[in-house]
Amino acid sequence: MSTATSSQAASVAAARQKRASTAPLYRLAWRNLWRNKRRTTLLIIVVAYATLAIIFFWGFTDGFLDSILSGQARFVSAPAIISNTQYFEDPDPENALANLDFVETALATNLVRGVAPRLEFPALLRSPYATQGALVRGIEPGLEPQVSNIPENVTEGRMISGPGEVVLGKSLAEDIDVRLGERLAMDVSSVAGPQAAGLIVVGLVDSGMSIVDETTVLVSIEDARRLTGIETATGIALDIPFGQEEAAARALAPLLPEGVRAYPVTELLGSLQRGLASERLQMIPLGLIFSLFAAITVTSTVVVSVMERTREFGVIISLGLSQYALSWLVTLEAIFATFVGWLAGLVLGYGLNWALNTWNILGPFLGRVYGDFLSVFALSDEIYAKASPEYLIYAGITIALAALFAALTPARRVRNLNPAEAMRSE
Amino acid sequence: MLSKIKLISALLITSLLTLAAAQATEDAQSIMDAIIENLRGESVEATIIMTVTKDDRVTNYELKIYSAGEDKALIQVMAPPRDAGQAILNVEQNLFIYNPRLKRTLRLPPSGRSDSFLGSDLSYNDLSGDDYREDYSSSIIEQTDSTITLELIPGPQAPTPYGKLLFTADATTYAPLELVFYDQREQQVKLITFSEIVEANGKFIPTRFEVQDLLKENSSTVAVWQDYQFDVEIPESCFSQQALERGCR
Repeated sequence: MSTATSSQAASVAAARQKRASTAPLYRLAWRNLWRNKRRTTLLIIVVAYATLAIIFFWGFTDGFLDSILSGQARFVSAPAIISNTQYFEDPDPENALANLDFVETALATNLVRGVAPRLEFPALLRSPYATQGALVRGIEPGLEPQVSNIPENVTEGRMISGPGEVVLGKSLAEDIDVRLGERLAMDVSSVAGPQAAGLIVVGLVDSGMSIVDETTVLVSIEDARRLTGIETATGIALDIPFGQEEAAARALAPLLPEGVRAYPVTELLGSLQRGLASERLQMIPLGLIFSLFAAITVTSTVVVSVMERTREFGVIISLGLSQYALSWLVTLEAIFATFVGWLAGLVLGYGLNWALNTWNILGPFLGRVYGDFLSVFALSDEIYAKASPEYLIYAGITIALAALFAALTPARRVRNLNPAEAMRSE
Repeated sequence: MLSKIKLISALLITSLLTLAAAQATEDAQSIMDAIIENLRGESVEATIIMTVTKDDRVTNYELKIYSAGEDKALIQVMAPPRDAGQAILNVEQNLFIYNPRLKRTLRLPPSGRSDSFLGSDLSYNDLSGDDYREDYSSSIIEQTDSTITLELIPGPQAPTPYGKLLFTADATTYAPLELVFYDQREQQVKLITFSEIVEANGKFIPTRFEVQDLLKENSSTVAVWQDYQFDVEIPESCFSQQALERGCR
């Protein structure tokens, strides 16, 4: 037999022996857990609770942020908007799109389910009692419901159907004291000089969100074009499935003319998006604290267990088990207990998130707690938690930390045991 | 035979009624034209003393006005010293304001046109003039020996928030006497009273205007013309942006 072959055989044999020697440790560790059912159950409950808390925490955080994004996309702006890069920097109607030739191409793009042109411009609204500035949105009434939830939130009257009509947010209508069926005067500075129009208020929007109800002014795009002198649009709003906005914007990029871009809702949010992103980052330390808490609890419980079983360990060592193997046994006990708790926590945590994703329980609760504060972010009273597989990893950090701490503390204590002294301990 | 007679009678009556209505509309329209002609006058150079009352505070302004036709006017504030030097230029649809402290002329955007002029009950829109003929349809609702009252109803898309106006004028001269603004709930919101009518070149021009904001208590503006000259030739340079700073002539 050659030297290489014999060394290979020796390695295989050594590996088999190692497996044969460690396999009983796993079984022993598992059995040891259930020798003290109360302690083990408590440990599992702690880990399960921490896991549930982590999964709920991230599910709620992500769901909350998604609700803001969704509200912004469907009430304030749109899932994505195609506009001039100049208009994005300076939203003046004079920076409107030069033409709308690319719209058909955009509509044919994967992920784009619908398009709706918009012409937005500043105007002065006048009633006999008050005047107020507003940002007016000229829309195609037949297309706008594809990209916005505002039309379905017209709770009094109806949506506009053509020129000569206007829909206002309910709070805005109250501020300038104009009622359904009354005429409102609108003054606009257009490319052709000052323009004015009288429009009949045909509908009032009551979404429950102050950012919508205090600012919404919808007119037909024909009126908008006449008032501004702009013949095209300031933007094309796109209907895109939630979560796919950035992918759709990337897909559209090569299809649009120079100087024209598709902006997903995350870019349209501006500083709010940066705030939301940093908010999520700031949540990471909080999540880690949950994991740390659970891992420390596991470790402290294992330390107590080791202290109580010192004499037993002394006997085991004297019977021939190496101290290294014994420390590994203790570590395995910690890992197994944590793993079982983790599994239980996953079931409970994802179950809770599924329930909060199915039924709107968080929305009314948070609405009562925060009042109108949340409506500033276009958050309605519907908030749902999220259930994402990545939370498995976040919660799994608990096991990793528990294993680490167990290896560092109780297992090390075992490695440093003097068997003779251990057997004499109480 | 009988049915034929009935049909012809019905047609005749309908035609007569239609003609009468058209005639009435034409009469109301021509009366409205006459009132506006008296109100806007022709070219005029005048000094106006404007008294603004807000609660207990009374402020007197002295203004110099140069006006040519309906769409050109220059107003300069001569007193009090705090506001002196300000000037407003109306040329067609554009309104320009000069501020002597900033030494700058600003074109008033639509957002500023509803602001009150020097804190009075007159807005810049009022100064540049709503187009009563273009935005409203008029009809005679009351006629006596001395006065005639027209009801002005805004068109469906008229750029005005008012529900209606009632314009009362002298039945003979068509000098404007009173203009009442109603909101769309039949409530009076503003009242302009015209008085001290003077005749010039066949026109009857009010030289005293009193504006009352009926939604506020103790709020009124009275403007009285003094030293006025009608039908004067006003140089075109008086209606340029340079005239805002240096004045007319």
